[in-house]
Amino acid sequence: MSSDDIFERLRRAVAEGDPEKTEKLTKEALEKGVSPLEALEKGLIKGVREVGERFGKGELFITDLILGGEAMKAGADILKPVMKAEDKGRKLGKVLIGTVKGDIHSIGKNIVATMLESEGFEVHDLGEDIPEEAFVEKVKELKPDVLGLSSLMTMTMPAQKDVIEMLAKEKIRDKVKVLIGGAPTTREWADEIGADGWAGDAVSATKESRKVLGKS
Amino acid sequence: MLEILSRDNIYKIHTASLQILEQVGVVFKHKDALKIFEDAGANADYRRELVKIPEHLVKWALNKVPSQVTLLARNPKYNLKLGDGRVHYTNGYGADHVLDFESGQRRDSTLKDLENFTRMADYFDNVEYVYPSIFPKDVPKTVVDRYVYLTLLKNASKHCANSFLSLDGFKDIVRMAEILVGGEEEFIKKSAILDTGASTAPPLKYPEHTTACILENGKYKMPATICSAALAGASGPVTISGTLVQMNAENLAALVLYQIVGPGTPIIYGTIASNMDLKTGIPTYGSPECGLINAAFVQIAHYYNMPFYGTAGIIDSKVPDEQAAFESSENVLLTALAGGDFIHDAVYSILETGLTACYEQFAIGYEIVNRIKRIVKGVGVTDDTIALDIIRDVGVEGSYLKQRSALRHTRKYLLDELWQPAISDRLPRSIWENRGSKTIMQMAREKVKEILETHKPEPLDKDVEARLEAFVREVAKKELSE
Repeated sequence: MSSDDIFERLRRAVAEGDPEKTEKLTKEALEKGVSPLEALEKGLIKGVREVGERFGKGELFITDLILGGEAMKAGADILKPVMKAEDKGRKLGKVLIGTVKGDIHSIGKNIVATMLESEGFEVHDLGEDIPEEAFVEKVKELKPDVLGLSSLMTMTMPAQKDVIEMLAKEKIRDKVKVLIGGAPTTREWADEIGADGWAGDAVSATKESRKVLGKS
Repeated sequence: MLEILSRDNIYKIHTASLQILEQVGVVFKHKDALKIFEDAGANADYRRELVKIPEHLVKWALNKVPSQVTLLARNPKYNLKLGDGRVHYTNGYGADHVLDFESGQRRDSTLKDLENFTRMADYFDNVEYVYPSIFPKDVPKTVVDRYVYLTLLKNASKHCANSFLSLDGFKDIVRMAEILVGGEEEFIKKSAILDTGASTAPPLKYPEHTTACILENGKYKMPATICSAALAGASGPVTISGTLVQMNAENLAALVLYQIVGPGTPIIYGTIASNMDLKTGIPTYGSPECGLINAAFVQIAHYYNMPFYGTAGIIDSKVPDEQAAFESSENVLLTALAGGDFIHDAVYSILETGLTACYEQFAIGYEIVNRIKRIVKGVGVTDDTIALDIIRDVGVEGSYLKQRSALRHTRKYLLDELWQPAISDRLPRSIWENRGSKTIMQMAREKVKEILETHKPEPLDKDVEARLEAFVREVAKKELSE
């Protein structure tokens, strides 16, 4: 099997949302001496991007998106240790992400986290229903490049504003780029509360992260 | 299954219908038919053109009728079996006006409109056989049924139903079907590539040309739809049950004649009945009574062990608005839940009680019927769908969107369990606004455009098409020179 074939099979396993198969194929690829970076970019990421795009067009379901993400992650978990040894400088940046206070929605946020990770960001996921103090605390501790705030309900959107205001109060607002997202949010809302960027869906979240860091 | 009538009440309607047939009788405006009835044991009054039909003759005829009907399609994958317990749907019939797709203005319908609507009917998977949604006004009336049939055949590979406006039309369309299937003898074997039908001029009367077509069908035994056209309050009693009695008597009379001239002719037993709006004096088909008549008549057809033919989903509204949506949805749903084997006008595309076709409404009708199909499918219960293991795997406070076995289970059943909209909106407001805040009408327009731009029906065999074209040209030349 040529390496082109193995990339194609990896891409398909991720696109079909099959974590077990992806894991098996990734191991095979490494045994055959395929470059882990290439396996990630030409196989796994290509597959997960395809899933993301088709989901965006309304051709796939959330289930497919999640399984695609899991498949990508299953492969990436095998590649990461090898890549770390080989390729130290690839990180695009560090992202801290979480769903704001009063909001327990996790799906969209998790997908964004996986997508960012697959693109080469280092992602720290705080979870859901996170109060503003906890976000600020973690920003101080981890010093991320990007802070992602997710809100899935109109009711909890003001909490995104609360976090930004607290960052300002603590005088660390300029230390981190803030991205907001979630179904009810809009670019206007992002501008109004002084966020650096807005991501309407998982695919645009990675684009927006690159943009605010000047890496697009 | 929804039941409007109790078993006892069905029987009451049945016996009342028999009394009407024996005591009041039914008019057939056709000398030969009267003689045929008389020879079979009915009492014929030639002066009044009336036959009184005894119970034993009705029973004899009912015993000849098969319990299932197969309709053949140009592409055999679209062959349809009616009476297998499933509900089937089709489109609307015969609009002579159209809301122009570009200007939105009401205008006379054209052959081009018929072509467009037929291509859409070919595309929509829930239109299981195709009626001419349009009766075009740019073709002379004396030959229009031949042009209509040709246009149906060219633009749809499903079973195509037509209406015969005259006995000559009937004969010509049989000739065309013979060309389609490969000759006279083939057609006798495959006459179900066509279907015929009889409806009343109520109360209790069949016109001359309808009767002539019943007699002519004795040669072919094509599947026949029989449907009373009674209007409660005007050409039938105002009470729904009384109208059901009269409808059933009218239908049984035609059924007897079909079976005398062609024993074993498959019958689809039904209704195009409704009620009159007694304030305006015009028929209403978007009424709840129309739905009730359909649902109740399903039970009567099934009492006789015949598949049902319904006319539910017609819209009285003049525009594709909220009224249009609820009129269509309610009556199709009611009839489908009652188990109506075949619902004509279900995937509806016409406004103004059958007069004005509307492109967008067709896409909306498609969406409505897909929702109804999901409801009719009901809730399946198996060990696998009960999902005990999956519920255990996910446990308390877990998520079916995280647990891998649950994700797989979802994937397996998603399309079977959860209806997927084609044009309805379920987006969060922000995304909906970003995409232009589109209404159902705008979504429907886009769907129509997409279909008309991309859908290519399976073409007719070149030689068959040329012969059909030549036949229709010849008929037109002859008819129009006379």
